[in-house]
Amino acid sequence: MLAVVETKPASVEAKPVLRVEGLKAYYQMNYFGVRREVRAVDDISLTIKRNEIYGIAGESSSGKSSLIKTIAGAITPPLRVVEGSVKFDFGGKELDVYAERPAMKAARWKHLSYVMQGSMNVLNPVRKVKHAFHDFAFKHMGLSEQDFRARVESHLQRIGLDPRVLEAYPHQLSGGMRQRLTIGLATVCEPEFIIADEPTTALDVLVQQDVLALIKEVQQRLGSSIIFVTHDMTVHAAIADRIGIVYAGRLVEEGPTIDVFERPQHPYTAHLIASLPRIGDTKKRIALPGKPPNLADPPSGCRFHPRCPLAIDKCTRENPPLVPRQTGRVACWRAGEVEAA
Amino acid sequence: MLKVLRDLLVYNREFAIGFVLTVGIFLFALAHFWAPMPDSAIYLLPPDMPPSAQYWFGTTSRGQDVLWQMSSAIWNTMLFGLTVTVISRLLAVIVGMVSGYLGGRWDQFLMTINDTMIALPNIPILLLVYFVMRDSMSWPVLAATAALLGWNYDARLIRSVTLSLRNREFTRHAVFAGMSVPQILVRQHLPYVMPVIFFTAMNNLIWAIGIEVTLSVLGFSDVNRPTIGGMIYWANQHQAIIAGIWWWIAFPIIAVVLLFLGLFLLAISVNEYIDPRSRLSRMGA
Repeated sequence: MLAVVETKPASVEAKPVLRVEGLKAYYQMNYFGVRREVRAVDDISLTIKRNEIYGIAGESSSGKSSLIKTIAGAITPPLRVVEGSVKFDFGGKELDVYAERPAMKAARWKHLSYVMQGSMNVLNPVRKVKHAFHDFAFKHMGLSEQDFRARVESHLQRIGLDPRVLEAYPHQLSGGMRQRLTIGLATVCEPEFIIADEPTTALDVLVQQDVLALIKEVQQRLGSSIIFVTHDMTVHAAIADRIGIVYAGRLVEEGPTIDVFERPQHPYTAHLIASLPRIGDTKKRIALPGKPPNLADPPSGCRFHPRCPLAIDKCTRENPPLVPRQTGRVACWRAGEVEAA
Repeated sequence: MLKVLRDLLVYNREFAIGFVLTVGIFLFALAHFWAPMPDSAIYLLPPDMPPSAQYWFGTTSRGQDVLWQMSSAIWNTMLFGLTVTVISRLLAVIVGMVSGYLGGRWDQFLMTINDTMIALPNIPILLLVYFVMRDSMSWPVLAATAALLGWNYDARLIRSVTLSLRNREFTRHAVFAGMSVPQILVRQHLPYVMPVIFFTAMNNLIWAIGIEVTLSVLGFSDVNRPTIGGMIYWANQHQAIIAGIWWWIAFPIIAVVLLFLGLFLLAISVNEYIDPRSRLSRMGA
């Protein structure tokens, strides 16, 4: 699975489809007079081009899910946007997620769809699959009942599902079929932007490969952009054009997939990649000591410094900015000195 | 639906017995539309006649045929029970689902009312309503009052189901896709809650009939309208037991016991149908 894909030629359209600027989203809680603030998304800026698959990697509780929920505008208190903006560009029209709520509501599913974490449970267990399509997509497509049905059936056929699944209940389908269905559900309106939150995590590797191929194929046919979140680096290697590494709510490194895998600039990325098993390599993998920090009380300076083998005094005091370096961007005071293990 | 019914009748003996009893009593009650005399007429027939070929269940001390009185009485009692059930189910579903789904202030507000209602004793409230409204008291008013007392436990039950549904992925997906709150409640959650409503409806029907009988036996209802409790009330007024007119009391009691038994058997066997695990254990799996 560690076959790194070639990066696509840069899109002719220079205007990015998504621009996130200085985004800060915190869980703010106030229980019994005790205020707690968890900085799950802390000052993240990134852009995603048209026709690009952008992978977000990071360990559990690093804030990846909070980040994409904030990007999708699908957050509920206590998670609140404190600062920054998220702007989509759908067909030349700019849409600010947090300033234009009604327009955003209308754009969801039509222009921006979401394949959720644990999407095996996305389908309502007591309703037939066809109702899910009707509920989620019918009003966005503006077709008559018959045309809609025909469209859904041809769409299902294209992603390799028999249209008869529409008459089935979710429990009558296999895990792989359900995952295909949720991808079909997310792409039936041919959206320009798809957010995929761990869509392959609960699947075995064979089905995983199948689903990844499907996502890639649909993405290429529609020309949409995908933001793909998973902790599984091998999946990123297989599908992403560019990768962003998130640690403790911050983007620590970003770059084209092949460069991130071959020449990681940040010590955390280097460890992440070194921990992957390789065929023929019998060396013992070294686990990075420590745990991801508590985001309610993060370490000073660079948040990785307590676990970093290269940490110096400066790392404990000052937070490194995310600066361009070679083909990507990296946030580390000692970025040049990292050797890929 | 018909196939489910047939399978239940063939494979589930409780359901078969309950079904036969309930349908039999329903048909018997339906027969009052073809009664030879109005059910409110008194002293039409010779009083105190024991059961015979002419009067199957005998006649009352008020000169009524016990058979036709019972037929009307069961009809009226079931009508009362069903009215209470329908109104209280509507309340339970609306309060339970809104409270569970919206949460927060709505939940606090509705559950405060709900828990207060649970703490109130039913019979004294119904008696109070009866005494306050004495002259304008009719059975629909009584049914509405009973319905207002009969939804609270089930609202809590439905709320708990909705609470768990609210955090499922498909709900979050539906919210993201732009479904409104009523749409989510009716189209995504209601099908899931339906078996709960169905099962609680059976229990509620039994409870409502019990309330009706209790109030009527004590005379706290429109006594001129024949009901099961009302018949026992009149039998007591005429000291039927002391006078040896046993058929006046025995037959209504047998009828209501059979109705209870039928509904109870239906309720437990429907529960078994709804819960696949007990269905499997019955099959020996």
